[in-house]
Amino acid sequence: MPHRQIQICDDDPAAALITQRGLQALLGESYGVVIAPTPNAAWLACAHGDVELLIVDPGAGSGSASALVRAMHAFRPTTPVFVLTAYDTPGLRAKMRDLGVRYYVAKPIDFKDLLPLVTAALHIAPIANSFPIRMNAHCSH
Amino acid sequence: MGEIEQLQQRIAVLERTLAEMKTHTALVEREAALQMSRAVELNARLSAILSICAALLISRGVETIVQLVVREAVHLFPGTSAAHLFLIDADQSTLVLRASNNPAVILTRPGEGLSGKAFLSPRAMLLVGPQVESALEDMSEEQIAALSASMEHWPPYSALLAPLRVEGQRFGSLVIYGGVNAHLYHPRDLPFIQALADLCAVAIDELNQRTRAAELERDLTLTQTLHAEAEARLNTAQAQLLQSAKLAAVGELSASVAHEINNPLYAARNSLYLVEQDLPEEAPERTFLAIAQQELGRIARIITRMRDFYRPAKAELAATNANSLLRETLELVQTHLRHSRINAAADLSNEIPLIIAHADQLRQVFLNIILNACDAMPDGGDLRVKTRLLQARSESPTTIAIDICDTGVGIPPEHRPHLFEPFYTTKANGTGLGLAISAHIVTQHGGRILVESERNQGTTFSILLPTTNE
Repeated sequence: MPHRQIQICDDDPAAALITQRGLQALLGESYGVVIAPTPNAAWLACAHGDVELLIVDPGAGSGSASALVRAMHAFRPTTPVFVLTAYDTPGLRAKMRDLGVRYYVAKPIDFKDLLPLVTAALHIAPIANSFPIRMNAHCSH
Repeated sequence: MGEIEQLQQRIAVLERTLAEMKTHTALVEREAALQMSRAVELNARLSAILSICAALLISRGVETIVQLVVREAVHLFPGTSAAHLFLIDADQSTLVLRASNNPAVILTRPGEGLSGKAFLSPRAMLLVGPQVESALEDMSEEQIAALSASMEHWPPYSALLAPLRVEGQRFGSLVIYGGVNAHLYHPRDLPFIQALADLCAVAIDELNQRTRAAELERDLTLTQTLHAEAEARLNTAQAQLLQSAKLAAVGELSASVAHEINNPLYAARNSLYLVEQDLPEEAPERTFLAIAQQELGRIARIITRMRDFYRPAKAELAATNANSLLRETLELVQTHLRHSRINAAADLSNEIPLIIAHADQLRQVFLNIILNACDAMPDGGDLRVKTRLLQARSESPTTIAIDICDTGVGIPPEHRPHLFEPFYTTKANGTGLGLAISAHIVTQHGGRILVESERNQGTTFSILLPTTNE
């Protein structure tokens, strides 16, 4: 298993799985894309592993996910946080911005639009031969 | 001879008796004539008083009343050199000559001169000779000059004076002066001068009361009109609030459904996408995958429209002054506050900037929270509205805080977690939508609502709005 990880925290199993599969297909074996079912599990993984990107859906009750984002900025400030949410509202957007989140995308988004944003968050060159790249209007940064 | 002398003596006695009787008869006749004259005079005075009563009843102005009284006073008391009627001014400090049989401008103070003494006197007075001179001593030379100029004879030898008063309220005084060597007033004149003064005072008082009643009626009509207008405005605003709340509830439901569908839609669309990546270019399944993706895209667009329901359109957002909105809202509910015995105070900061917002929606939020505060104070209380500008650090974004505080019954702790849930209410006639829609609107503006409450102490709703919106 690659030592570099992308951590996904999403309480919707199907959505989490499809994100994981899509990213894994894009990035190949250079990154391990793993799912944490809860913010606590995601935090443990981020605290102890070599996580290079956290993708989180704050969900309907965004309290613990907000705590996770806050903890990441406090203790893992170099790890970018990418919010991929099905519960987009101006209020959530403002809250995440206040918490320092730079990457914010609303579901449903197509992979071909999502993946360039993930590569940007990882600070790696776009992988042209995997999926076509098109910047998406949902991006808030 | 003796008989003749006796008869002569008797005749002499009878003649003396006759003479005495004649003298007595003459006296009685004179007395009868005097009494007759007095009766006639009395009758004339009573008739005059009755005529004055009738005339005063139909008088419609103070000027008409005072002129009539002065004119009749001169007729009632023959030999009168001058008749003066003084009225006190609004601040009860100066007596102004309002009517006279000869034109004059005279001002005195209560207690000063005959008019001033009459004003303070409990009843009518008759002053004669030295008493008149003594009463005139405290007047200035200008006053004396004006007074003497208004009279045919100077100095007056006697004077009748009476206060104009009704039930302890003093309006002025009536003074009539007798000429030198002319008619000398008599104590029996006192009831008449007092009756005339009383009639005058009652007529003026009635006129004042009529004027005051007309003013009060006008004020009442105006107040009723304003009240009806304010109530109509408040009813309209409440109806709009309810309508908006219903719409917002539908919007809230739509947004909630839309959010729940986003995850499965995201998974389904991208599953198809991943499957498509593994298919050869010519695979016939690609046609059906494309159709499925198109239809899922259509669902996504429908969901987006549902989610955006009731979210303010960009065109409706404008630079908005939160202080002005609060003032307008307080103006709207001022009648309601007055009737509920609630004292409202606004402490609005001049530092807060304009915000980009939907003014009507924010006004609805303020109105809803203020009306809730009124409901929390059924026995009256204090409502305080305050605005503040918040900034954690100099480089941090600024936030406007709008505090709406009441001194009501407070919110029980068990209700607080549910305050902003749709359809949650503790009121018998509540919809449970007011705070839900308020929170929704504030959230749509990128803000939030905080609540602090203490049982029987009051509640503070703090609305936090960012000064810069997306």
